[in-house]
Amino acid sequence: MVNRFTLIALLAALLPATVQSAPADEPLRVWTRSSKDGRKTYDAIAAAFTKKTGIRVEYFNALTDFEQRLARAAVGGRMPDVIVNELGTAGQLVNMGVATEIDRSRIAGADQLLDSAWRAATLPDGKVYGVPVSVQTHVLFIRRDWREKLGLPVPRTWEELAQLSKAFTERDPDGNGRRDSYGLAFPGGTARGYAAWYLSSFLFQAGGEFQRRGPDGKMHGALDEPAAVATLAFFRRLVCEDRSVQPNAINASTQETNKVFSSGQAGIYLSGPYHIALFDKEPGRDHYEVVPLPAGPTGQRASLAGGELAFITTRSRQPEQARRFVEFLISPEGQAMGMQAPKGGLPIVRLPVNRNLDAGVGHGDARWSMVAQEYAQHGHPLPQARNWSRLQQLAADGFNAILAHCSKDIAGDLRALNQRFNAELARQEAQ
Amino acid sequence: MTTQRKLSRLAPWLFLAPALLVFTWFKFIPMAKGLVMSFHKVNFGGPDTFVGWHNFQRALGDAALRDAAGRTLLYVFVTVLLSASIALLLAQALQGTARHMRFIRTAMFLPAVTSAAVAAEVWRILYAPTPDGVINALIGLVGIGPQGFWADPSQALAALIGMHVWKHVPYDTVIFVAGLAGINSELYDAAAVDGANAWQRFTTVTLPGLAPAITVICTLGFIRGFRVFTEVYATTGGGPAGSTEVVMTQIYKQGFQELDYGFAAAASMLLFLFTAALTAVYLAWRRRR
Repeated sequence: MVNRFTLIALLAALLPATVQSAPADEPLRVWTRSSKDGRKTYDAIAAAFTKKTGIRVEYFNALTDFEQRLARAAVGGRMPDVIVNELGTAGQLVNMGVATEIDRSRIAGADQLLDSAWRAATLPDGKVYGVPVSVQTHVLFIRRDWREKLGLPVPRTWEELAQLSKAFTERDPDGNGRRDSYGLAFPGGTARGYAAWYLSSFLFQAGGEFQRRGPDGKMHGALDEPAAVATLAFFRRLVCEDRSVQPNAINASTQETNKVFSSGQAGIYLSGPYHIALFDKEPGRDHYEVVPLPAGPTGQRASLAGGELAFITTRSRQPEQARRFVEFLISPEGQAMGMQAPKGGLPIVRLPVNRNLDAGVGHGDARWSMVAQEYAQHGHPLPQARNWSRLQQLAADGFNAILAHCSKDIAGDLRALNQRFNAELARQEAQ
Repeated sequence: MTTQRKLSRLAPWLFLAPALLVFTWFKFIPMAKGLVMSFHKVNFGGPDTFVGWHNFQRALGDAALRDAAGRTLLYVFVTVLLSASIALLLAQALQGTARHMRFIRTAMFLPAVTSAAVAAEVWRILYAPTPDGVINALIGLVGIGPQGFWADPSQALAALIGMHVWKHVPYDTVIFVAGLAGINSELYDAAAVDGANAWQRFTTVTLPGLAPAITVICTLGFIRGFRVFTEVYATTGGGPAGSTEVVMTQIYKQGFQELDYGFAAAASMLLFLFTAALTAVYLAWRRRR
């Protein structure tokens, strides 16, 4: 009897307050995949937005495990109104049932955005679920002080890149008398599909693709093409023969690899231009240079074009306010603030999506003009798929395995990987 | 009288209430939710779809999960065997109540209280795959060339086992030291009188006397080993080339990277059932002996 009473009392104490009511002045809840320095910039944008519209904004920002946190929030029934996340996650967010379709004609200022940004945001079903708020492309960061000390040129081809990487590894560019510096900082680990994301620029430079549309109108894996073999062979040479990448690169995430470059363990880093602000602090603006990516074996230029999309969620209780916030983000005012990064934050708009703005002017830094030019001329987006995250993970696992086993048959491994890629494509198609 | 009796029956529950409350909220409810989830396709934007045993069928038929399970079994048996053997030797050496012994025992226990993430960073430095890496420099002294450790798919699992053993030997040692202290010293005297040598004393007195301690160590080792995650995730993340992918990292990837909650929940339930069954079988076997 007492037991039953106790149990009931316990259960009563445990019952959560399940009934939620939406107060009239509920703030707009916005989730952004950004660091705390990026958050400072978002805060400034929110302040300006609130001043203009009276709509309050409540942020949540995280850099790691962003999608996991989102999934947890969704399962817990607390979904945000707006999500700003990487381009590549669009398919996943749609699959999760989190993102709603965007009607471009209903977004003020949508016609001012770059066509390339809209194209990259379009999913295989021809629909758009996220509004582009920022675009970017891969660039090469090189320790200029090291390169000049060794008297080597800025690499314009893969071969020159390999030579520079080898020289940084073998010729003690930091002059400390020890062989403790390396050429390429390489995030070769499989977390979040890094290896595939990183190698994509090289794959495109070799004339390759992850997938191509076949005569049957369906997508097919292209990872068994000679271009993919050439890309992996080039990288395996750097990892296994020249050994000019940092130690343990095969397990490294991008966050670890950022440190490898900034701390001076390695002197060449291919990454997004958002690292300019970070690397200006360490190793320091005078010590490094930002240059375009080298050309592939046949002289082809390409660099991964990425970006960020703003999604309005399916369970948002204030979609109208959410739409107005997104409109502010893509407006010339919002874009300019995103680049200027007032209050000492990091820029959250890398290259403006609004075609009336100039990146060099917006950032007050000529290096960004080069990035904008590279994006416009050689930007090459990742494919959109119903679930690109999963395909990228598959490719990353395969690339990682090839680079980890220094003696295996690359072409054979890539054929096997391509079969797995095709199987996943077919599975997604069938869904 | 009756009120007092009622109160005295209520008292234990009142004392248990805070812990029960916390456990219910943070353990039992999530576990029940996990069980429910394992029968559903979890849709984040709307209600979940009931799929019956589908997730379990997928989990049992999943080749990657099967590979990971095989690797986990190997990992568990090698780590338990190695940790227990080394701990037994150390415990023999660390018996006694002298003051310096107490100091050494405390110092030895440090790895066990170090968080897995910190241990991972320490071992990353030790295992640096360069010629001047700590362990590579040491083995270089005896003429062995630099090894890849975590960067080499053929060595990564063994390197991981090395770290796990380092971390768990102290724990096992403490249990063995306690077990050794519980063995009646008269038994040793009697064995000596009967003319038993050191090895015979060890096999006929020490080992049987340590049976309960061995049971505890193996049971804890199984449970700890099968759900190993942090040690792997913080070091190799399952790589290189999937060579250190264990059941939990696989479940994590399916659940939190692919966001396939139902599948991950089903696989977790299977892991739970397997661990519980194995532990039960082991305990029954120990009891029979």
